Amino acid sequence: MLSRNVVSTCRHRSRACLHAPSRSLASVADAPSSSAPSSDPSTSKAVLHAAVILNRSPIITRTPTLFEKAYYAYQSRIRRALFNPFPTEFYFKTGSLLEKKFAREEKVREREAFGGPWTLNREGPESEEIGMTSADQTESMGEEPMEPPASRVHESDRTGDVKSLDRMGERNLYLLIRGKDHTGKEVWRFPQGGLKEGEHLHQAALRDLTAECGENIDTWVVGKKPIAVHQASLSESAKKSLGGEELYTFFLKAHILAGQVRPNGKNVTDFAWLTKEEIEPRVDKAYWASVKDILSDF
Amino acid sequence: MSAQAATRAPRLAAAAGRSVRRTRPAPQLKPLKRDDKGLPIPHVHLVVRDTHSSRLANHYYSTLQDDLMYMTYVHEPTPRPPPRPPRLAYDPNDPYTKHRYNPPLGGNRWSKQLPPPSSPDNVIQLERIQIHTQIKQATASRTNLLGPIMALRAISGANDQGGGQHTAEGVQIVKGRKNLQGWVRPGLPVGVKVDLKGPQMYDFLSVLVEFVLPRLRDFQGIPLEGPSNRLDKPNSASGVVSFGLPPTALGLFPQIEVNFDAYPSTFGMHIHFITSAKGVGAQNRARALLSGFQIPFARS
Repeated sequence: MLSRNVVSTCRHRSRACLHAPSRSLASVADAPSSSAPSSDPSTSKAVLHAAVILNRSPIITRTPTLFEKAYYAYQSRIRRALFNPFPTEFYFKTGSLLEKKFAREEKVREREAFGGPWTLNREGPESEEIGMTSADQTESMGEEPMEPPASRVHESDRTGDVKSLDRMGERNLYLLIRGKDHTGKEVWRFPQGGLKEGEHLHQAALRDLTAECGENIDTWVVGKKPIAVHQASLSESAKKSLGGEELYTFFLKAHILAGQVRPNGKNVTDFAWLTKEEIEPRVDKAYWASVKDILSDF
Repeated sequence: MSAQAATRAPRLAAAAGRSVRRTRPAPQLKPLKRDDKGLPIPHVHLVVRDTHSSRLANHYYSTLQDDLMYMTYVHEPTPRPPPRPPRLAYDPNDPYTKHRYNPPLGGNRWSKQLPPPSSPDNVIQLERIQIHTQIKQATASRTNLLGPIMALRAISGANDQGGGQHTAEGVQIVKGRKNLQGWVRPGLPVGVKVDLKGPQMYDFLSVLVEFVLPRLRDFQGIPLEGPSNRLDKPNSASGVVSFGLPPTALGLFPQIEVNFDAYPSTFGMHIHFITSAKGVGAQNRARALLSGFQIPFARS
């Protein structure tokens, strides 16, 4: 409904908003400040802003739930029990070191799956013995020892550092900055700004992102279409300062590829990489209602 | 009438002794097999499902699906015009041709159809990957197919009815369909193919992207057509992206690399990525999906 209103306002205001019926969500607009007041007093003037929802995608896989773990372990056991025997003579030369190593590891895996009281217990007295018998001969095999994987919990999760891009590796994070909104009040919001004369929404979004978050950031804006719109309720004084009756903020999605935000400290004082639940208490209720459906739950 | 009743009567009398129901008796259950401890082994039809969560499938559902929906969204504020009534080959009211197959003149033009309206339900997704190879020497002796069969089994991890799933077809032998003089006869084995779905498909894709393509020599990326390419050709509207790998790529698969010498010969292969995209320009949408899985495309 809201988007339909936006389209109709644009249609009243200028023909430049609309190129064809197939592109009725306006992606081109006149500059709100530079446009002269229209001759028809009944038409309301709308000011357009472009905002960027900058997303850091998950960098590690999701931790399976207890049920998922049990399910996968159960299915792996069934698979192991039902599978055709592995053709060792095809893959290894008979009597080679590699074959012995494989047989030893396979024994451990077999015990993990079926041995004992159905537990994945690596530290058994027998497994130790199997592992130790020829460890000095064949364990290395000229291969470098494997590095243990990094911890799934990053340092910044422990310290509660919301500015780190490495925090919450398995969740989608979104950039929220602390800056002034249209009334001049300092709030938490997504990076945004106005449109220039003849500028497209996705161009304006990229320009405003650079203006507020600095040059030290590589981003990719997904498509040219906005994914959400927010209509701010304006007081009389705000309308005067804006030079329009209505303010629409269009949101575009972007991904961060490299770099980090460096706010200039003047109009942007702080920033944070937050999950969906962490965003809700920081932003205005009406603002939250417009963006909550486009933020990922995972 | 009476003659029929007379013939039926003795039959009924004979049946009355057994059972009135015309069904088979319940099968006699065989005693269950016993394991070495003497416990009965239940006869259960086991089907193996996913043994791990797929990394690329997670990537698709957490990131790619949303992005592709935004990128391929087409805003249609007005309803689409109704389709033009087809010109039929025969008059449908003519009783002489009433039950005859009545094709629209000029075909059904499936490749000229518009894509279905954008909605969260029909975001493009990868349905299956087909690996296919044609072995020329197979026409001389079909034993030449054994190496490729083993190699494709190792690459794909698929086997016939693997894990008790009756839909898993495993590596299949491709047979000739036409009679080409001096080359192919109908029923002659000419190659092998395998269809991958689900987690196996995503595992193959990640191996291809992380081990094979980066190490392939002189690989410039998968070539794209120029901008003059029409989007309503059957090729462009079918949502399938295909490319070939040279014989040198076979040794780059880690599953083959460990015992490369065991395979008698190397061979190239065709890989088809079959997606759910439909309508004009479906192939371009399929490419957008694949480039989200980091398959490189290059303008030629």
